[in-house]
Amino acid sequence: MYIRTQMGHQDKKTTTKASATERVQLGLAKRRRKEERFRKLSFAAVLLSIGFLVLLFASIISNGWPAFQRTDILLDVHFDQKVLDVNSLVNANYGKLVKQAMRDVFPEVTSRRDKRELYRLVSSGASYELQKMVTADPTLIGKTVSLWLPADDLTDMLMKGKIDRSLPEAERPISNKQIQWIDQLIAQKRLKKNFNTTFFQAGDSREPELSGIKGALTGSLFTLLVTLVLSFPVAVAAAIYLEEFAPKNKWTDLVEVNINNLAAVPSIVFGLLGLAVFLNFFGMPRSSPLVGGMVLSLMTLPTIIIASRASLKAVPPSIREAALGVGASKMQTVFHHVIPLAMPGMMTGTIIGLSQALGETAPLLMIGMVAFIVDVPGSVTDPATVLPVQIFLWADSPERAFVERTSAAILVLLMFLISMNGVAIYLRRKFERRW
Amino acid sequence: MKKTLLIAACLLLASDVWAGGRDYVSIVGSSTVYPFATTVAERFGKTSSFKTPKIESTGSGGGMKLFCAGTGIDSPDITNASRRIKKSEYDTCLKNGVKEIVEVKVGYDGIVLANSKKATRFNLSKRDIYLALARIVPDPKGSNGFIENPYTNWKEVNASLPDIKIEVMGPPPTSGTRDAFDELAMQGGCKTFPWVKALKKSDKKKFKTVCEALREDGAYIEAGENDNLIIQKLEANPNALGIFGFSYLDQNADKIQGAIVDGVAPDFDKISDGSYSISRSLYMYVKKSHAEVVPGLKEFLAEFSSDRAWGDEGYLSEKGLIPMPEEERAQVGKTVKELIPLQL
Amino acid sequence: MITAEHTSINKVQYFNGLNEKEQDTQDTMPAFTPTTSSLVTESNVMTQETVGKPFVKSPRMTCREVNVWYDDKQAIMDVNIDIGKNQVLAMIGPSGCGKSTFLRCLNRMNDTVPICRVDGEIILDGLDIYDKKIDVVPLRAKVGMVFQKPNPFPKSIYDNIAYGPKIHGLVNNQTELDEVVEYSLTKAGLWDEVKDRLDQPGTGLSGGQQQRLCIARAIAVRPEIILMDEPCSALDPIATATVEDLIDELREQYTIVIVTHNMQQAARVSQRTAYFHLGKLIEVGITDQLFTNPSHQLTEDYITGRFG
Repeated sequence: MYIRTQMGHQDKKTTTKASATERVQLGLAKRRRKEERFRKLSFAAVLLSIGFLVLLFASIISNGWPAFQRTDILLDVHFDQKVLDVNSLVNANYGKLVKQAMRDVFPEVTSRRDKRELYRLVSSGASYELQKMVTADPTLIGKTVSLWLPADDLTDMLMKGKIDRSLPEAERPISNKQIQWIDQLIAQKRLKKNFNTTFFQAGDSREPELSGIKGALTGSLFTLLVTLVLSFPVAVAAAIYLEEFAPKNKWTDLVEVNINNLAAVPSIVFGLLGLAVFLNFFGMPRSSPLVGGMVLSLMTLPTIIIASRASLKAVPPSIREAALGVGASKMQTVFHHVIPLAMPGMMTGTIIGLSQALGETAPLLMIGMVAFIVDVPGSVTDPATVLPVQIFLWADSPERAFVERTSAAILVLLMFLISMNGVAIYLRRKFERRW
Repeated sequence: MKKTLLIAACLLLASDVWAGGRDYVSIVGSSTVYPFATTVAERFGKTSSFKTPKIESTGSGGGMKLFCAGTGIDSPDITNASRRIKKSEYDTCLKNGVKEIVEVKVGYDGIVLANSKKATRFNLSKRDIYLALARIVPDPKGSNGFIENPYTNWKEVNASLPDIKIEVMGPPPTSGTRDAFDELAMQGGCKTFPWVKALKKSDKKKFKTVCEALREDGAYIEAGENDNLIIQKLEANPNALGIFGFSYLDQNADKIQGAIVDGVAPDFDKISDGSYSISRSLYMYVKKSHAEVVPGLKEFLAEFSSDRAWGDEGYLSEKGLIPMPEEERAQVGKTVKELIPLQL
Repeated sequence: MITAEHTSINKVQYFNGLNEKEQDTQDTMPAFTPTTSSLVTESNVMTQETVGKPFVKSPRMTCREVNVWYDDKQAIMDVNIDIGKNQVLAMIGPSGCGKSTFLRCLNRMNDTVPICRVDGEIILDGLDIYDKKIDVVPLRAKVGMVFQKPNPFPKSIYDNIAYGPKIHGLVNNQTELDEVVEYSLTKAGLWDEVKDRLDQPGTGLSGGQQQRLCIARAIAVRPEIILMDEPCSALDPIATATVEDLIDELREQYTIVIVTHNMQQAARVSQRTAYFHLGKLIEVGITDQLFTNPSHQLTEDYITGRFG
């Protein structure tokens, strides 16, 4: 048809063909410009999002980085026999040892008021550390040992330059005398910034210099473990049933619509459900990762089901036919062939669901996981909190030194997420099969 | 891989079945008392042989609800409150079998109105606060009627105040700080109009709505429970005022300053001796029946009411708690020691 | 079309063909036993539309009055045909004529299509395979299938073959399994090509090799009948020739039904050919005869390339 028209034109004018090419050429330039513009725009969009990401990371890292260091004071502690009675080591006044050591460094400080200010330079955690040491090794009693003990958060803030020395004394939380002592300590090389191991080994604390992320991290791990153990098998089983076995009728349609709806339900609703059912009805322990994990599995179930169904759908029917063709039963077909092929997708869905669960605080509020918990949980029934809750709690604390810890906790959360995604990619690579 | 995880989870579950007792103290309640309660809890956990108590920040009202739900081991032992228990809450408690409740007054907290150090310090009267923030105010023309709050500028409220738009950030109605602010500052300002004060006797309900309803036209901004956020916003906006607990002012004295109210600036001593008028008492409520059951509960209370904790020079004062006078401490200390139940 | 005259002609042709065949191979015979005589009479009415010789003397499978619906749409109408033992039956016809649908009825692969409904009877070893008591698993073990597109499992070559015997419990130990794998691959003419890389994925083979792998996989469960659904349509001519040779060899041991678009292929590999048109079985006959001297106008039109 087209050729015929062209032939007809050629009969009349020989230039028609040339002008058609020309027209194409003209349009071509315009098309190229359009394409170029679109490419630039999309590139700009990518740049913009990368820019925001870099900004976010830069601000979090620059805020959070100092938290990985902590100022310690070198003190010569004399484990005085008079203070430490071997028979009641628990009740001994370890603070006295620290105070004595401080007085030894500054013998010139005599007035009661000044002494109080002086003692404030050392963290209240110093005495806990001494207590731990003596309990572990009672032979220390009577000896004098040089020890690096944690400094108070204000000393730490000053060392890190977070407190402006130029402000008038009344407006800064640290007095002129204290600054003077700190400078003396620096001159004597008794103040040093060390890597903050406490941050990774301790639970929450009201003293910033003693607070750590381990409690929340362990809580998150336990919670996610419970979530994984509950939601993965249930969600995969549900997806397999719906995708492979269920008849296609109004009921399954209804179930499908409901699952999709559930995925969009605000997480707080699951928290209320958890409160009503798990805590009030079944009487499970409040604030425990067990209940937290159960609530979060309710939340992640729809996500995993949807992802699993999508990956089951993506398995080519030819594989199913091949298996059925050699006489495999429906279940054998599904378990031997379909699931292994859908597994990477299911795992990706699971990790996405778990990542969501990792960042959740709202439902945990209802079941008491937004709490001040010092002890690192040892099992899924111990009271625990999770990383995002810890971030929230620290962000709400009045002490200034918690600002950097908040950012540091966010960094830990991000590392957690990145490693989870890393595991997802690794598993996907490992289980991925081509067909 | 999956199997290993499953086995691990089963072992974890098996290792510690929840049936049976609880070996730590469970505390809920006010976010204002939270920093103090947590400080005591931590010290207690680290220096005693007991586990560290678990503290949830649920707000005063939320804490009461949990506290009064029952007496079982699943219910909290202590609830913190930044106000006294209400009669209705007390009745709920009784109805649910929480018979003997010990009231422990912990100390005082001031509520401050603060702005950025970059701006001039406010000098307010409670009447100014009321006129600036109430939804309806007495007609300025003199008749004994109410009109919608017409003021948009502090200068319109009181000629001695700066020429700045009224913009105040404060806590939402669920907060105990808000309860106390409504009662102490707003009602206090309200009562400076004698004919409104008379209303309290004739029509209590109307008095309450007139005095405590905050305006909703944008001059009062509910900033959520996070007081640090309010402080950040104040730094960014020197024209705005913020409402929060004294401990936040104490910790951020280099950034913000508290407004003088009725001639008194909010500081430690002035709140302690009661001359700063917008201050409130903080409370703990304890279930007496749990004292023998939950290990560490009595010892925790002893730590809380020890001089090194709530005393004049105690570690709680470092956290911003304003201690009670010595006689009052002794009296409350006795209540704690003997676990004398509250009678309402 | 349904006239007495026509029926009688059919009858004559039917017996004529029979006699011829009897002399030839003695393979296709009408059933003269009293039990099936009624069937023959019945089928005389039924075969008003199917011309040629749909029945054989000792059929492996007999299909009577098979109708298939997809929802309300009828895809197969009243098909009656026998599948002869140890011979290749080719099914040809234009696209959408229902030949693949019919093939998939023979091992109930249509069960996987929820909207598909089959009635009539398809008898294998004296039992209707659509009977409620029949389990599809042994049926499919007995009636293997090779698909249009080579579809090896994404596993090793060895596992591809070993899968069927393993799930059916046909072997007792590793040695026996190794033997089955070697036997099946040898039978499929693939052993020499892959014996050194049995642990490599089956998906890494060429198209023709993959299809032979699928045939080997079908053989490994020791079926009696192998259904092939256009097994060469995705293969190049050389691979096609290899597979065709293979089909010819397999005939000695297996009964084969093959659907093909390629008439030359049907002529090369099959002994009998069935021509389908719009869901109806138009003509069945000895392959040489059908291609050289078709009885039905439609068949003639198709094989002479007038349509399809």
